[in-house]
Amino acid sequence: MRSLLAWLTAVLTVLLAAGWIGLRLTAAPARVDVPSPVQPARATESPRFSTTLRPGPATPRVRTGTADAQGPITVACSTCHQTTKPNPELRSAAELKQFHRGLEYRHGSLTCLSCHQASNYDALRLADGSTIPFAETMTLCSQCHGQKRRDYDHGAHGGMQGFWDLSRGPRTRNTCVHCHDPHAPAQPFVQPVLPPRDRLSVPAKSP
Amino acid sequence: MSTSPAPAPEAAAGGVSRRTVLKGLGATLGLAAYAKAIAPLTEWAPSTSIDEFLQRHYKELSPLDLRVVLQRLEREAKQEYGVDVRISDLKAQPGVKFGYALNLSVCNGCRKCAEACHLENNHDRPSHNSYIRVFEMSRGSMDLEKGNAHYTHPVKQPDKYYLPVQCQQCEHPPCVDVCPVEATWKEPDGIVVVDYNWCIGCRYCEAACPYHARRFNWEKPKIAPEEINRDQGYLSNRVRPQGVMEKCTFCLHRTRAGRLPACLEACPTGARVFGNLLDPQSEIRWVLEHKRIFILKEELGLKPQFFYFFDA
Amino acid sequence: MPDAAASPVLPDTTPHTPREYVRSYLRFLGQAISEAFDGGPAFYVWMILLTAVALVGANAWAIQVRDGMAVTHMSDHVSWGLYIANFTFLVGLAAGGVMMVIPAYLYHDEEMHDVVIVGELLAIAAILMALFFVVVDLGRPDRFWHLIPFLGKFHFPVSMLTWDVIVLNGYLVINVYICTYLLYERFIGRKPNPRWYVPFVFLSIVWAISIHTVTAFLYCGLGGRPFWNTALLAPRFLASAFVSGPAFIILAIQIIRRIYHRNFGDGPIETLTKIMRVTILVNFLMVLSELFVEFYTGGSHTSAARYLYLGLHGRSALVPWIWSAIGMNLLAAVLLLTSSITDHPWRLNAACVLAFAGIWIEKGMGLIIPGFIPSTLHEVVEYLPSLAEWKITAGIWAFGLLLYTVFLKITASVFARRRALDAAAAARSTP
Repeated sequence: MRSLLAWLTAVLTVLLAAGWIGLRLTAAPARVDVPSPVQPARATESPRFSTTLRPGPATPRVRTGTADAQGPITVACSTCHQTTKPNPELRSAAELKQFHRGLEYRHGSLTCLSCHQASNYDALRLADGSTIPFAETMTLCSQCHGQKRRDYDHGAHGGMQGFWDLSRGPRTRNTCVHCHDPHAPAQPFVQPVLPPRDRLSVPAKSP
Repeated sequence: MSTSPAPAPEAAAGGVSRRTVLKGLGATLGLAAYAKAIAPLTEWAPSTSIDEFLQRHYKELSPLDLRVVLQRLEREAKQEYGVDVRISDLKAQPGVKFGYALNLSVCNGCRKCAEACHLENNHDRPSHNSYIRVFEMSRGSMDLEKGNAHYTHPVKQPDKYYLPVQCQQCEHPPCVDVCPVEATWKEPDGIVVVDYNWCIGCRYCEAACPYHARRFNWEKPKIAPEEINRDQGYLSNRVRPQGVMEKCTFCLHRTRAGRLPACLEACPTGARVFGNLLDPQSEIRWVLEHKRIFILKEELGLKPQFFYFFDA
Repeated sequence: MPDAAASPVLPDTTPHTPREYVRSYLRFLGQAISEAFDGGPAFYVWMILLTAVALVGANAWAIQVRDGMAVTHMSDHVSWGLYIANFTFLVGLAAGGVMMVIPAYLYHDEEMHDVVIVGELLAIAAILMALFFVVVDLGRPDRFWHLIPFLGKFHFPVSMLTWDVIVLNGYLVINVYICTYLLYERFIGRKPNPRWYVPFVFLSIVWAISIHTVTAFLYCGLGGRPFWNTALLAPRFLASAFVSGPAFIILAIQIIRRIYHRNFGDGPIETLTKIMRVTILVNFLMVLSELFVEFYTGGSHTSAARYLYLGLHGRSALVPWIWSAIGMNLLAAVLLLTSSITDHPWRLNAACVLAFAGIWIEKGMGLIIPGFIPSTLHEVVEYLPSLAEWKITAGIWAFGLLLYTVFLKITASVFARRRALDAAAAARSTP
């Protein structure tokens, strides 16, 4: 009698365990995540917020290489260039005798007048000679950097701030000149921040 | 033991034997020593409330339960740091699955992303903790063993490229599989999250993750009250308790509100692209369809939703 | 044993009604508890020593809970350390405990039947220690209840850790049942009924294999850790478990013999020595196979092996550990393979101690730790345990040995009392 009881208990335990395991096994894949409460539908026709470009300088200024208490002294290009006759051959600031001496220029074999409009230094010059406002640097750069412009237009180049979801908020985008100095567009050397300071990244010492 | 004398028959002694007194004394001393030994636990116990101890798993909380929990956490933050934080619990949006891509051709290794993560997610300050680890790699090699995360020289070095690594939000996350208490799971929008109030701190997920994406709170995070980011999420950047796991959530307190992740906004090179993988018009989809994509440790078959790409 | 014969002889009646069962069972427990606190000066010194070490461990653990796991030398790179290393070893020791059960029951080794309980009690103590090591490894021990099925959220069957929880606790229950049944039956003067325990003994044999297999699966199922990600891990675990288990039991039997001045267990010791001769070689073969694949293939997946055996990028904290383990195991193997080893107890003991320590290193510092070095992103961050970790580890071992001592002592007294009663009965029946 006693042994029968023991066996019954054992068999029952095994069966219960097996049943439970089976239940979990079959239940596991069917488990669904708690449905999220209804959100405002992301319909394509919902109002889309705008993407604005971060404004750049409206008029071009150049560093004089001197500084006062407020910082480096800059002067608007047109101050001099309304009267000074430009040199269309000029490819380097080092060739100049005055002004622009502090200007670092490393941008292919372009001359100053490839991009600056000789007749109007407050504007820019496209390759076909036409004039565009100084703020439209993107158009100017895109003449040569078409692939980058394509990437930019698809959000794959150039930084941004704001919303990834334009149905919920606006976005601000950098233009070329926010990250690249047009006279020396390669990324400059920068000091990296926040080096890791992990626990025991040096060999641990045992007591 | 055979060598020991037989216990004195107490009845015969007509009272309590010397041996029993000694035993009692020994037991009392032992108990006292034990109490003394575990006394530090009493200094720890007040840091966890009964409500927290009894709190159910995140998925079992009703909306009301959850509100109570969030209010309690806000209250506790106020008590501890004197700061008014707002802990939200944004849910996954239907039709959204987050993806992230990073352009290895332009990343310059400045670690601004790691810093932004550090500040956004209320990380422990002294350890410079961040969910992003940037490796300086040798050009011409994908061998991480030749990488270095501790560089301090100016970047970008001409013979190097930089590989930031953070949670890859795997489609088949091994960290989720191994968790014995379901304290970590994959949300419908693809983010792998941790319930910091459910995690038991066994660190099995940390052993299982092939991307070194998880961090453990070896002690209570140290952060000055004025530096606390007050916009917090229950499943993301609220200040974590001691002894639990944490990880990158693609800043879900921001991204579920439609905003961009902090690391993307901080990137000075525009190397980062974030968006909805299910939206064919999204930036991330364009990158996946038009760029050469590299997936870290793709051979493990975990299907990350973090992609590296190159400019042509 | 003389003291048992002198102790107050309880009415030697076999219980029949449930009420009698309860009463006699309570008496059995009472006897067990009083036995645990009673003994000679040597016993007291030994127990006080173990208690003291256990208390040091308890204190270190309490501090760890209060101040966080920062008191350990584990890091986000090496996220498991001495605790999980010991856990792994102890699961093996528990599984190795049944190495006596197999010859006893499968091959009807009658002499083994008498000492088989030494192995089963070892299994109980080892499992308890293993569970303690899991608890001290938790960052939030207060949330332990989350692991309890139905009450918490038990991630079964996906998480291997839940399998481990089931098999370890199951193994504990089975062995506790077998041991208490055998002891209680002897206590009330009945011959244990095989139908009540033999099926469970067979179950425990299968279960022993399962606990160590599942524990190996914890590690070898992780695709991101190439050092562990080998199908040989479970067989290797079993082979090394069946070295460390018998080694410990051989030592335990000899110590018991010395204390009680009784001559028993020569046969079992010889059988266990034979088992160790085979298993220590099988273990070597497996280690060798791993080493061949690692070093002949090369590549970045073998960095951990290179770090462990040779050092990597100028870091070599584990190199002395693993080579001492290999040295100890080799020496143990050489000693065990000499034909006259069982005639030289001290040589045998030395072999057992060497094998035990060698396997402890091989499975802990030589297997769990290098799984994390280099890290998954190939950074070399080293690990050596902190003082707090050593204290807690020593504390758990001390507590485990304390439990094992008490278990053995209770067993010895029950057996002795039975013998004395039997002898008295025999004397009465023969005028």
